[in-house]
Amino acid sequence: MKTMRCYLANDTSSRAAGAERLADAWSERPEIQLIRTSSRGAFFLEPMVERETPNGREAWFNVAPNDLPRIVAGVGGTPVAGIPFLQQQTRFTFANFGITEPLALDEYQARGGLKGLAAAGSLSPEAIVEELRISRLRGRGGAAFPVWKKWQVAQQASSEQKYVVANADEGDAGTYCDRMIMEGDPFRLIEGMMICARAIGATRGYIYCRHEYPAAAQAMRFAIQKAREADLLDSDDYPFDLEVVSGAGSYVCGEETALLESLEGRRGVVLAKPPYPAESGLYGKPTIVSNVLTFATIPNILANGGAWHASIGTEGSRGTMAVQLGGRVKQPGLIEIPFGLTLRDILDRFGGGMAAGSRFKAVQIGGPLGSLFPESQLDIPICYDAFAEVGAILGHGGIVVYDHETDMVELARHFMAFTADESCGKCTPCRIGSVRGREILERIQIGQGTAEDLVLLSDLGETMKATSLCALGGRAPYPVLTAIEHFPNEFRSKLSAFSSQQ
Amino acid sequence: MRIRNKTQLAETLETCRPALLDNPNILKALLAIQSARGYVPTNAIPQIAQVLGVTEAQVAGVLSYYSDLRTQPPGRHLIRVCMGESCMANHGARVFRTIQEYIRINARDPTQAERFTVEQMSCAGNCALSPTVMIDADLCGRVTPSDVLSLLEPYR
Ligand SMILES: Cc1cc2nc3c(=O)[nH]c(=O)nc-3n(C[C@H](O)[C@H](O)[C@H](O)COP(=O)(O)O)c2cc1C
Ligand code: FES
Repeated sequence: MKTMRCYLANDTSSRAAGAERLADAWSERPEIQLIRTSSRGAFFLEPMVERETPNGREAWFNVAPNDLPRIVAGVGGTPVAGIPFLQQQTRFTFANFGITEPLALDEYQARGGLKGLAAAGSLSPEAIVEELRISRLRGRGGAAFPVWKKWQVAQQASSEQKYVVANADEGDAGTYCDRMIMEGDPFRLIEGMMICARAIGATRGYIYCRHEYPAAAQAMRFAIQKAREADLLDSDDYPFDLEVVSGAGSYVCGEETALLESLEGRRGVVLAKPPYPAESGLYGKPTIVSNVLTFATIPNILANGGAWHASIGTEGSRGTMAVQLGGRVKQPGLIEIPFGLTLRDILDRFGGGMAAGSRFKAVQIGGPLGSLFPESQLDIPICYDAFAEVGAILGHGGIVVYDHETDMVELARHFMAFTADESCGKCTPCRIGSVRGREILERIQIGQGTAEDLVLLSDLGETMKATSLCALGGRAPYPVLTAIEHFPNEFRSKLSAFSSQQ
Repeated sequence: MRIRNKTQLAETLETCRPALLDNPNILKALLAIQSARGYVPTNAIPQIAQVLGVTEAQVAGVLSYYSDLRTQPPGRHLIRVCMGESCMANHGARVFRTIQEYIRINARDPTQAERFTVEQMSCAGNCALSPTVMIDADLCGRVTPSDVLSLLEPYR
């Protein structure tokens, strides 16, 4: 019997969907050999099994172990190129997903990997930064700061030791693209960090990976080991050492100064800026802290040129956006698209409508610090400027859809409680404000709130926005205040009957 | 593999001793102890401080700061239920309540009292398969309250 090569993702979410069950059930079957790849990110179809045909790959969705005969016979498959969720995307950073084996350096290279690093090798550090300036890439971690400006500061700082740190804390709930990159295309992150190291003159790098991502940390450690064996890291022409460091379950450790404190082994408390990490970061040395996705975007920019990247997207937001769709939609998953599509486009064209039995209520973008959008505001284009105009953020690109069963008062309480739990305690508005905010919302939730409480909450929110040290306190009021703004009746109807004015 | 006695704690700590001129890393040391022992006993703080060359207050400060560092031994199996927004939207709170109920009833049997520890966790990055429950190192997605019984049964 001829053995057929089939592809099955080895991503955390694919495994949670049952990929391992298939791998176990089929491990002894002579007719099939499973190649474990990264996931395409169409998680609603996982576990998905693919096989090669003369017309490209065909896929079987939501596969169970007893589907094997159908797959082997080639019955009932769908051409991968014909899956609308995938076919409508523009995959650059995620081009390898679902195709390559994550830890196969030769496959990474065969598909254009390491070209960016090679291009950077022939450029001066200044020319690398110039290429990034032309690309108009902005950081994908949340603050959307121009990448080249940060690199230039670190490059011009004189120091015998500089560092590159990948922020893999991915704390925003509803986001998972950093995890996918680390598990699915780890060499891309390594390549991006190495390009940065050359540009600023760093010889050591760290990947600060959240504790919740053991598989991602493991994949990165293996990839670093492979890169070392292939003389990629300790090459004679540019030595660079890379290490994965684990966090311990603190959201605020995603903030860059807190992250560096944590990396040094201390309490992850936010520090006042300036000095910025690019001037004085890890152990007081110039340090670039950037998001995993930011680093992973850089190899393509160097390989294809900054102008290529600048030609994609909208005026202030160049390149592609990795939207991570979650919540009560039919088709949650990773969506890489040029900036500029509207929120409604994403929900309609990719989301596939609401999950069975659910009606739309609101969507949240930007994690626990992001604003809520009701149905009437879905025509906003996905780009930094349009979001800034309405006081919202794209954050790390997580979109969570809430349905009609969502209790907005409970959700608002959840956000304030989250901030109260996660506040590092350094600044008063965040440390105390979040606790008071939580208390007010608890009061409203049990029917003891008054109309004054709503005024107080909004006053408190404005104070936190204006005076917090970092965006945790500064943005925590947004989901709460937008919930009150768009769903006022839910809050009012819970107020106490004894409230003086209603 | 868990360390049970003091010598083994000392051995784990020895691997965290900073080299000459190196900076001590308290968090790394505590994580190493926890992964070997399941938790960080507070009575080990003086020893940890001494090996790392830092104050006891610094060690205690780091230990109390990070929510993933435990000072009590967990049950035989650690259940973590995601309370991130995508899981909340998909009614993860109901799953959490069902699990709590299961464990409460289960714990009436004294031989089962140490079977589970249940905690809430922040986003597990499995949001496209919400709600998420993590049992030891196994991640489960699309969990509904009616799955709970069969999900926990194999973990004795
Ligand atoms: C409370 C808080 C949490 C943050 N969490 C993350 C995170 O999980 N991942 C991340 O990349 N950036 C996070 N950031 C943003 C970082 O401070 C920093 O801006 C970013 O890592 C810079 O990378 P970039 O330029 O590539 O965006 C957070 C910021 C704040 C205030
Ligand atoms: S919100 Fe639960 S896994 Fe992300």
